[in-house]
Amino acid sequence: MKYMFKFPDIGEGLEEGKILEWYVEKGQSISSGDSLVKMETDKVVTDIPSPKSGIISARYGSVGETVHVGNVLVEIDIEGIVGEEAQSIASETVQKTSFEQVEEKGFGVVGTMEVAGDGAFLPASGEGKMENKTVSEAAATKPTGRKVLATPVARAMAKDLGFDINIITGTGPGGRVSKKDVESFRPSKVPAQAKALSNATPEHDIEIVPMSQIRKTIAKNMSRSKHNAVHMSVMDEVEVSDLVDMRAKLKLEYHDKGISISYLPFVIKAIALSLKHHRSLNAEIDVEAGNIIYKNYYNIGVAVDTENGLVVPVVKDVDKKSILELAIELNAISEKARDRKLTLDDMKDGTFTITSYGSIGGYFAVPVINYPQVAIFGIGKLAQKPIVQNNEIVIGNVMPISMSVDHRIVDGGEVARFLNEVLSYLHDPIKMLIL
Amino acid sequence: MDYDLIIIGAGPAGYVSAIRAGQTGLKTLIIDEKYVGGMCLNWGCIPTKSIIESAKLYQRVKTADTFGVDGVDVDLLHFNWGKVKKKTNTSVRKLTKGIEYLWKKNGVEFIQGRASILSDHKVEVDQRILETKYILISTGSKPAVQSTFRAEKTIEIESLFGLETLPVKPIIYGRGSTAVELALFFKFIDIDPILVLTDTPILPIDDEFINMQVDKILKKEKIKVFPINEISVRDAVIVYQEKEYEYDAVVNSSLRMASLPPMPNEIELTDGFITVNEHLQTSIPNIYAVGDVNGKSFLAHSASVQGLAAIDHIHGKVEPVDFLLHPLNIYTEPEIASVGQTEEMLKAGNIEYRVSEFSLNANGKAIIEGNNNGLIRVLHETKYQQVLGVQIVANNATDMIAEASLLLEMEGTIYDLARSVHAHPTISEVFMEVGMIGSDTPVHN
Repeated sequence: MKYMFKFPDIGEGLEEGKILEWYVEKGQSISSGDSLVKMETDKVVTDIPSPKSGIISARYGSVGETVHVGNVLVEIDIEGIVGEEAQSIASETVQKTSFEQVEEKGFGVVGTMEVAGDGAFLPASGEGKMENKTVSEAAATKPTGRKVLATPVARAMAKDLGFDINIITGTGPGGRVSKKDVESFRPSKVPAQAKALSNATPEHDIEIVPMSQIRKTIAKNMSRSKHNAVHMSVMDEVEVSDLVDMRAKLKLEYHDKGISISYLPFVIKAIALSLKHHRSLNAEIDVEAGNIIYKNYYNIGVAVDTENGLVVPVVKDVDKKSILELAIELNAISEKARDRKLTLDDMKDGTFTITSYGSIGGYFAVPVINYPQVAIFGIGKLAQKPIVQNNEIVIGNVMPISMSVDHRIVDGGEVARFLNEVLSYLHDPIKMLIL
Repeated sequence: MDYDLIIIGAGPAGYVSAIRAGQTGLKTLIIDEKYVGGMCLNWGCIPTKSIIESAKLYQRVKTADTFGVDGVDVDLLHFNWGKVKKKTNTSVRKLTKGIEYLWKKNGVEFIQGRASILSDHKVEVDQRILETKYILISTGSKPAVQSTFRAEKTIEIESLFGLETLPVKPIIYGRGSTAVELALFFKFIDIDPILVLTDTPILPIDDEFINMQVDKILKKEKIKVFPINEISVRDAVIVYQEKEYEYDAVVNSSLRMASLPPMPNEIELTDGFITVNEHLQTSIPNIYAVGDVNGKSFLAHSASVQGLAAIDHIHGKVEPVDFLLHPLNIYTEPEIASVGQTEEMLKAGNIEYRVSEFSLNANGKAIIEGNNNGLIRVLHETKYQQVLGVQIVANNATDMIAEASLLLEMEGTIYDLARSVHAHPTISEVFMEVGMIGSDTPVHN
């Protein structure tokens, strides 16, 4: 029988991916779990494994082509079932895919693997002509997320305009989405405006380059953050001579073991300790439900600059790890990030983010929150500066820091108290060891 | 404050508003100078349909032998007006009793008397001045006075149901669906009426199709239709195209004018009707006007819906009434019903549309019943295929139109009609058939 394997939704709001390399050819025999294709998706390059054993009977898409979630990637002839039986099972299989796949997450595509159905919502009666879809196909839709009530015309209209009807707020009875609601819906994207602002025309010397997946994702996430969070920033300086000494000693000691010790693990530790006393900085807001979700786990995202763009791998459970363990882990993820080997798992579930732009340059910045987190901590360029100590001007090691928080959850006083604690650890790092 | 809400007029706008107001916790008083149920129940929808039903049955019994029922002697058939009146009164009494029960159940007070609005918060009735937060005017309408014919010959519709004997050479004077229905009523009971049309088209609506259907029915029944500017009147005769026609009564079915209660001058009027905004507020915002009195529609169900919307608005819900979703029913034979936009409206709105029709001639049940004279007509826009208007000519079109109302309310498409399975044999199958035609998948066409 033929099995249609569709590009799975591997989570994190992924919508499309680019084919980087095919591992299989038409006619090739494969086993369940074998890699089929290398895809560049939002921020990661990952191999997509086959969910079935069999022979590849067709391959869709060539290298460099963008594939949307739900599009068929390959057709696999599954051994042992042929003829009419195969046809009937095949159509059944297509319908069942979304449910089967959930159980097959052992195959190791990152995150929970689900094949998108023919649509995440019931099709409008008017969408396409009737011959396009059978009722049973339409019924085999993915039972995930919020599914709104909507009138047939509202569905057709949303589809036509490229909106996901499930994110439109309905004003009709029972929250039903009507034509009027779709008409008044404004997606949060601002491409039209951006276009209007551009004065670059083909007469000028310009180069038009399609956005990479990473760039698209960064653009989307940054807009989402600025659109949703109410940014408030605070900046300060801390004298870190003790930390400089301590780090210099450790750096030397571990250099031979191949472990590079930066300031970052110290900062992570200081933040982890402080977050425990300032819960609102390790939280999330659920506006719709009117709740604040406090997180009792501490996963710190670390912004890593790569030549392809910014990625933010996450160091998990930092409160339970020693500074050395953090250093080792940071070495590993930075390397993975630069080699584009991060998986979505490596970037999931962050609760707080640190950006150390100072390692490249700049004293102060106004960092953008990694939404839906509520705070981001920026480390500026460490420099020797004159400071006042015991009424005398001496040379100090000064670390500038910048921090942005979502003022909807966190008030100024709380940020200041949090910062005081973090900076006191950085100023006097021995404190971190006894706590 | 004595009340949260005082409603003036207990017709379908007022009585429904009163029930909803009571249900939603408003201390409510309803005042009417005459009848509970207003025009609709007492001399409008209910009694006219009751006598038309009797007249239609009288006609149908005459066709018994074509259905294989012998023994009906057509010569012995007699339309007994006394019994028809009695049956009509029984229906009316039953329905008005029901209203009073619902008021009581929901704590609504009722005063029979003439109310005057003194100011935005004061209403006078029975020499008492009552204070209220809100006022709802639902005093309805009355036909314009006819002055073409002698006054003593005039029968107002209100008094038609009290007549000892029916006129034998009646003139139906006026325009609109009531005039058409009354002309047909007389025709069906073997009385030859003359319909003196006060204006054209017959129905005061911008819909050529529906007006054409009415014309067709009047022609088929051979009803004399004389435009008023082509007749001259002498004592007991009218002259039309140099021919004299006797008459013994003039049933006044003129277009309606607002029945206004005494009220402050600040309440503005448009063409004699109370001006209201989309939330049915008058120029004094805590005073609402719903139903015929605001001139937006002369349909009982529309009046009720407006009343409910006004009560919702008092409670802070702001959903404007969509008058296009109120079906128009004409109790002719066959009946005519329409909901949504007409072809003229779609043209005026520059909406690209398509018309699909299916005739009752191809419908099994209609043929069985001998009622295959008619059709369904669906107008849908061509972008999303949304159905925007439905018109039906069929023996039971006035009931069938409900399916179209639901479809329009739900913003359904032509595909939804095609996909809804309709039982066979039923006349409603025409919905599915016309849906298939509109989506280019016709079966019985």
